[in-house]
Amino acid sequence: MSVLETPRILFSGQIAWDPIVTNNTPRFYDENTSEPVYPSPTDKVAEFRKAAIASVAPDQGGLWNPQGTHRSSFFETAISGADLGKGVVQDDKFVGSPVRFLGMLVDLEPYGTNSSQLFFDTMTFGIDGGYRIAARRSTRMIARYINFGRNPGGYRAGHGSAIWQTSFAKKDGLEINAFDSKALRALKKALEDDDVLGLTVQLNAYRTLYYNSVDVPEKLPDLSAALIANLEGGGFQPNPARSLMVGVVGLWRRGEPVHEPCDRTLLTTGNQVATAHARLTRDSITLDLSNSISEKSITDLDKDKLGELAVVAVDPKSGKPVRLGTFGYSKYDKDAYVRTSGIVTIPIKTKVPASANLQLRDSTDTVLLAETALRAIPVTPNLYMNQGDTRTVEFQVYDRGVPAKAGVEVTICVMSGDGSTVESTFQLVTGKDGVVSFPLTGVQGGIALYVPLPGPDPVRPSAKSGIDPQVNTFMYVRTLPADEDIAILPPTWENVYARVLANWHAMAPCMDNWLDLGNKFQVYSFRALIQKLTDEAAFEQYRFMPVTRDMTPGERVLLYNYLNGDPPEPTRPRRCLPPRLPTTLPPPHRRVSPSEAAPCAAADELSSG
Amino acid sequence: MIRLQWKPIASVADARAMLQTAIGVEFGTLPPYLYALFSIPPDKNAAAAARIRSVAMQEMIHMCLACNILNAIGGNPVLKPPKYPGPLPGDIGPPGGKPLTIHLLPFSVDAMAQGMAIEQPETPLEFPVVESLFAAAPPEAVTIGQFYQALDQFLSKLPKKAWKPGRNQIGDSQFFAGQMFPINSYKEAQKAIEEIVSEGEGASDSPLDFQDEVAHYYRFGECFNNKVLTKAKNPKGYAWGPQSLGIDWKAVYPAIPDPCKHDFSKEPPEAQAAQAACNAAYSQMIDELRLAVNGKTGRLGNAVRAMFDLRTSAQVAMTTPLKNKKLVAGPSFIYTGASS
Repeated sequence: MSVLETPRILFSGQIAWDPIVTNNTPRFYDENTSEPVYPSPTDKVAEFRKAAIASVAPDQGGLWNPQGTHRSSFFETAISGADLGKGVVQDDKFVGSPVRFLGMLVDLEPYGTNSSQLFFDTMTFGIDGGYRIAARRSTRMIARYINFGRNPGGYRAGHGSAIWQTSFAKKDGLEINAFDSKALRALKKALEDDDVLGLTVQLNAYRTLYYNSVDVPEKLPDLSAALIANLEGGGFQPNPARSLMVGVVGLWRRGEPVHEPCDRTLLTTGNQVATAHARLTRDSITLDLSNSISEKSITDLDKDKLGELAVVAVDPKSGKPVRLGTFGYSKYDKDAYVRTSGIVTIPIKTKVPASANLQLRDSTDTVLLAETALRAIPVTPNLYMNQGDTRTVEFQVYDRGVPAKAGVEVTICVMSGDGSTVESTFQLVTGKDGVVSFPLTGVQGGIALYVPLPGPDPVRPSAKSGIDPQVNTFMYVRTLPADEDIAILPPTWENVYARVLANWHAMAPCMDNWLDLGNKFQVYSFRALIQKLTDEAAFEQYRFMPVTRDMTPGERVLLYNYLNGDPPEPTRPRRCLPPRLPTTLPPPHRRVSPSEAAPCAAADELSSG
Repeated sequence: MIRLQWKPIASVADARAMLQTAIGVEFGTLPPYLYALFSIPPDKNAAAAARIRSVAMQEMIHMCLACNILNAIGGNPVLKPPKYPGPLPGDIGPPGGKPLTIHLLPFSVDAMAQGMAIEQPETPLEFPVVESLFAAAPPEAVTIGQFYQALDQFLSKLPKKAWKPGRNQIGDSQFFAGQMFPINSYKEAQKAIEEIVSEGEGASDSPLDFQDEVAHYYRFGECFNNKVLTKAKNPKGYAWGPQSLGIDWKAVYPAIPDPCKHDFSKEPPEAQAAQAACNAAYSQMIDELRLAVNGKTGRLGNAVRAMFDLRTSAQVAMTTPLKNKKLVAGPSFIYTGASS
């Protein structure tokens, strides 16, 4: 099943992250009301931007990227190998082909670390006219299983790694141009199976660098001072972070989750190795260790030496372990990791009872990973709702990687968005398809966390430490307030700017690259494009505005009432000379484009790193 | 084959002069490529626009890499705005013939042929055209690759002390991740030269560059032929098509060629204002780039902002009718800044 089945295609490279980070703190943003927190009631946009720049200083919060773009892009990324069932090969014709991806990194819960997602339109492996997989988005890409102990020397979130996953449905226009590539031919052939819904792409992002530096803590005063100087000097000044990554393209079969790994789950026991997934067949076991074993340093990237590792099957009744196979350091060292994308396959000769639990042990017989049979995975892992909406949410329960039967108890823990409070719990039982579902109504603006705990006597998340993304599966829900009071405001420029556009103007200075949000003539002349990009139907698209997906229904009504109304000055020429922007350095000639230009098209290749 | 006019490199001063020429060549390609790009309306000819845009972006990177090399051997890059129509620095052109004259042309077969001419490798690979719509062959072209090869040979012999590590280097921390890098020694200079040549011309036996992407010459070739360059079972391994690039040559703003030669004083005020706005943005971009490549690397962000302003201004210009209401004019790319 999944990317652990063959055929699979491997890739490696780097990804740049360029989020605006001012919404990461309640000092600048209220994630319940979806509004900035302005430092001053007068000249609030200019003062907000000024405060955001000041916050770069380590003693002012250390916000490392106040003028990002949210773009994320692959770079130096290429196909590295393929496994058609007989081990990784690197001589397939597809190897070396570039991999292209451009997405928008948005955290559903801006203050926290567990709800990252990438909105995008396409992912391309290879090139037009050559070996190629062209995949149109079916769903956004989701981060899960954050391993905060991956790279201990990393700065900020640079010590963590995460699994990112999405799946591409055949019905959404998946194309494979195989030519004489055996790997692509095998993949194309496998897709003919009706049980295969499409392709899953999973990647592991690790060793994240900020300020493009491996020794940020020592250099931070200088680095942050230089960034502040750049920001104060005007222009477009993103400060993207970057991660190394390994990835895999494999089959997405019916019943498998879209956004996160399934298979058999081997949870961390807290002994150096992070949670992994495994696929067991009659004659082999395949382990996905892409997120599991730390690099000793962020410079040489050598993997922790854990000695020879053993996969064992444990009888749940007797507790008796049966050794299935072993593998040494050469299977999981630095070179092997990049070559295999962290996937290790070992042959087995022992028949494994269906009820046995898998474990990974080291040479001292210490249990590093232990299987938990039942997992409940949200069908929609990161859900947005408007206040007043009702949605039915579902969790698919899996038993050793396959949909569970009816009658499995599932406790749902409802927690505050930051995971600090367990607000309520309730119990459900799976139906015949192994699914539990319940209706959810958005009562008020805010963020909540739903943690499903399958099976009897579940271990509930600690209110003190919140959820553990290595152990818990979870669904985030963000409810945007209705803002009915804003919807009924007269659609004047003063109202629409103060209650809608100023929010973006303050928090997203990169918008200055194509539109002065403080200029009513420019905004009005862009009205068709603004409506197109803010249309709720475009929510999943790469170019949706606002990129942070936090415009409320009331704000949208007020904005559209303004845009659909009379022009600001009926006699004014269609094109105009707008005034200077308040905080940056636009030339006096900055003008309105009357056309429906694609915003930031050039920035796609510039700003993401 | 077309050659660049140069004299043998005998000293670091010669190498600096040669790099200055290279910077001028890379910079000089931008206005013609951008003029063609800006003349494509939004949502039209997307595949062609993407190819031209990607080439223009890489030319900017090449220019910055050439500046990094020059800075690394103690030189000081000078960005001299080219004039159009006119030659590229170094008077590149066919041996014994006139230098190639570069024009600002709206997106068209001629503009794509000019792009191929600028980027043409020493020995262009010729591919069959499957269901070709165009009978005309691309024109003769110059080779920039040989130019860089000579430079590479000289740099490889420089002593270590000739390199000035960390001097005015632009890295990829803000823009062009993985593509722009500081040059502190011959090793990095060689890598930069390989990238510049490979991305422009491909390999001697392949149209793909070092990253297995289609090289510039062949990207323009795809537009010229209106065909995707496709793997094929023939001795060359590729053919133009059969998949079309979907180009609609009529879906282009009716922009005049070489607006820099045009007398705008007799045009409507809106058209004059549009030109002034374009020139101001272009000039600001140059001013900021000059600072960026001479030690004030933080100004690169200001140059990028000015580039966005140029794009916005160009969109206005491309939709502002001239006195002949059937025509418009794109940016003239005339420098009006402090040192004009």
